[in-house]
Amino acid sequence: MDPLLEGLRLVAAPDVLIAIFASAVYGLVVGSLPGLSATMATALLVPVTFWLSPIAAIATIITASAMAIFSGDIPGALLRIPGTPASAAYTDEAYAFTRKGQPELALGAGLWFSAIGGIVGTLSLMLLAPALAEVALSFSTYEYFWLALLGLMCATLVARSSPIKAIASMLLGLLIACIGMENPAGTPRFTFGIPDLLGGIEPIPALVGVFAVSEVMRAMASVEPPKMPFRRFGSILANQWKLTKQYQWPMWRGNFVGIVIGVLPGAGADMAAWVSYAMSKKFSKTPEKFGTGHAEGLVEAGASNNASLASGWVPSLLFGIPGDTITAIAIGVLYMKGLNPGPTLFTERAGSMYALYIIFILANIIMIPLGIVMIRVASRVLRAPRAAVMPIILLLCAVGSFATGNNLFSVLLVGLFGCLGYVMEKNGYPIAAMVLGIVMGNMVEQSFITSLIKSDGDVLPFFERPVSAFLAALTLGALFWPVAAWAWKRLAPRRAPAAVG
Amino acid sequence: MQLSDRITGGALVLLGAAAAWGGSKLPAVPGQDVGPAAFPMLIGFGLIFCGSLIAFGVGRSFEVEEEPQENSGSLMARLGLRVLVPPALLLFYALAVDHLGFLLTAGVMVFLGALALRASVKLALPLAIIAPFFVHLAFYRLLRVPLPEGLLGAPW
Repeated sequence: MDPLLEGLRLVAAPDVLIAIFASAVYGLVVGSLPGLSATMATALLVPVTFWLSPIAAIATIITASAMAIFSGDIPGALLRIPGTPASAAYTDEAYAFTRKGQPELALGAGLWFSAIGGIVGTLSLMLLAPALAEVALSFSTYEYFWLALLGLMCATLVARSSPIKAIASMLLGLLIACIGMENPAGTPRFTFGIPDLLGGIEPIPALVGVFAVSEVMRAMASVEPPKMPFRRFGSILANQWKLTKQYQWPMWRGNFVGIVIGVLPGAGADMAAWVSYAMSKKFSKTPEKFGTGHAEGLVEAGASNNASLASGWVPSLLFGIPGDTITAIAIGVLYMKGLNPGPTLFTERAGSMYALYIIFILANIIMIPLGIVMIRVASRVLRAPRAAVMPIILLLCAVGSFATGNNLFSVLLVGLFGCLGYVMEKNGYPIAAMVLGIVMGNMVEQSFITSLIKSDGDVLPFFERPVSAFLAALTLGALFWPVAAWAWKRLAPRRAPAAVG
Repeated sequence: MQLSDRITGGALVLLGAAAAWGGSKLPAVPGQDVGPAAFPMLIGFGLIFCGSLIAFGVGRSFEVEEEPQENSGSLMARLGLRVLVPPALLLFYALAVDHLGFLLTAGVMVFLGALALRASVKLALPLAIIAPFFVHLAFYRLLRVPLPEGLLGAPW
């Protein structure tokens, strides 16, 4: 059967359609609650995906994450508290609209351009992934090693923190991945005689711990955000077409940047939004208007973060290397459902891949009506007391992690990772870098050790093949970039007086 | 839990040293140069290097300063012990659920969690009674997760 028709048939199944609708509502609600990120929404969904068909499982992840990234804009615009980190870049701008009495314009722009970004990102996924699959078929372990390492380095570069702390976090993640006997030699490592550790640390309890439990812990230590006054909104989509025509060029630039950042392994929606907002301001004809309720930055960054979401699936589907923390979860689900990432996915399971594209497009289309409803009821949802939401999240963390292996040890792990995530976050160690280390540890080690065995302990073959040499150059560039930036900063003030003198 | 870079960096150095030492003790694979020890040792040395850089304050200029949050109110809040409530509740869940059963354990967990977040008893009590039933319904009935029954079984 034609893969496109097969994809349509897979998506049209009632369980898939129900999964899309239910996860859309879930994503919108969770994303809009301050402190509950899109990653956390996705991580808490994983236990549910166990009982779904493969396509329905993927559909819940895709839909919930896309909705949550958009809906993070809602509390950002109304309360100046970003619902998800991906909205943080333009929260002040969106809030300036609310102060001017035009919240519907900022929210509408968030919705409209998120949907456009999501659809353009999906088109890029459809074009890029199969084309790159051809190239990826010729990759050997050397290329896989550099690619995985490049993904990890990107994750450390994009963290808005000290690069050394980011690299340390990543190494910590890799060390955690060493636990257990899933290594090329099958030797139990760092298990301390605990049988539960023999199988290694599962990514899901770790993710739920660092993203959800640590958030509940933070809520314990901080004051409750202000309650939102009840307000009525005017027409939400009224001026969006005008904005689309007016800021067409920034919109396309935002889409493009989002796609590029999404494709980079390790860099995700948060980074896309920050880069695009900064870029929009730099290239704008009226940069002085930024921060005062000017739509240009919103258009560009709003499109960018949703575009990156879809293109982030490119490295995940092709190489099993997560584009961001959300796809790190998605990869686990793909393996669980027998859709093992790899270039052959596009030839052997073409129907499923088409189904995935269709789900992306469908999710971004239904985002518009559901998003409008969400904006209208946001005042009510945002009034839910935090003291009621957070304990239930904690309970879901416990039950969800138990469900991943019917094992109470996972519940303890979730608590431990919650503490670790909390301490790391407070001290400027980026959590995402550690998570990617945990998810990719086995792959990095496997490709590293196999390559070393192939080359008889020689390092040169790591650089001999053209693609691997190129990837190695990129990786080493990413590694030494902080050193160069630091040196530049040190030298710049010395040069400035010299130039004046 | 804001610690100085000296402490976190020092902890990473110690962890790295432990990883490298533990890694070096792993048995080699006969007939092969690289075995299970290589990767942990590499990471261990990396952690020692990064940890010492952090302890000496290299790379601080890249960090975004976090706004200090004021801790007011009771002694518990001032000491920051409240943040330990969620992991403590998870520990309680893991230890108690097989004996007390899901509904009771979850009820206690939600009730104490809500109180720790300064909810009134009027909110915490109904929440602790209702929420576990819905979670049980979703996970036990729909997703078929074997949640223990313990002292109090669900009506389904």
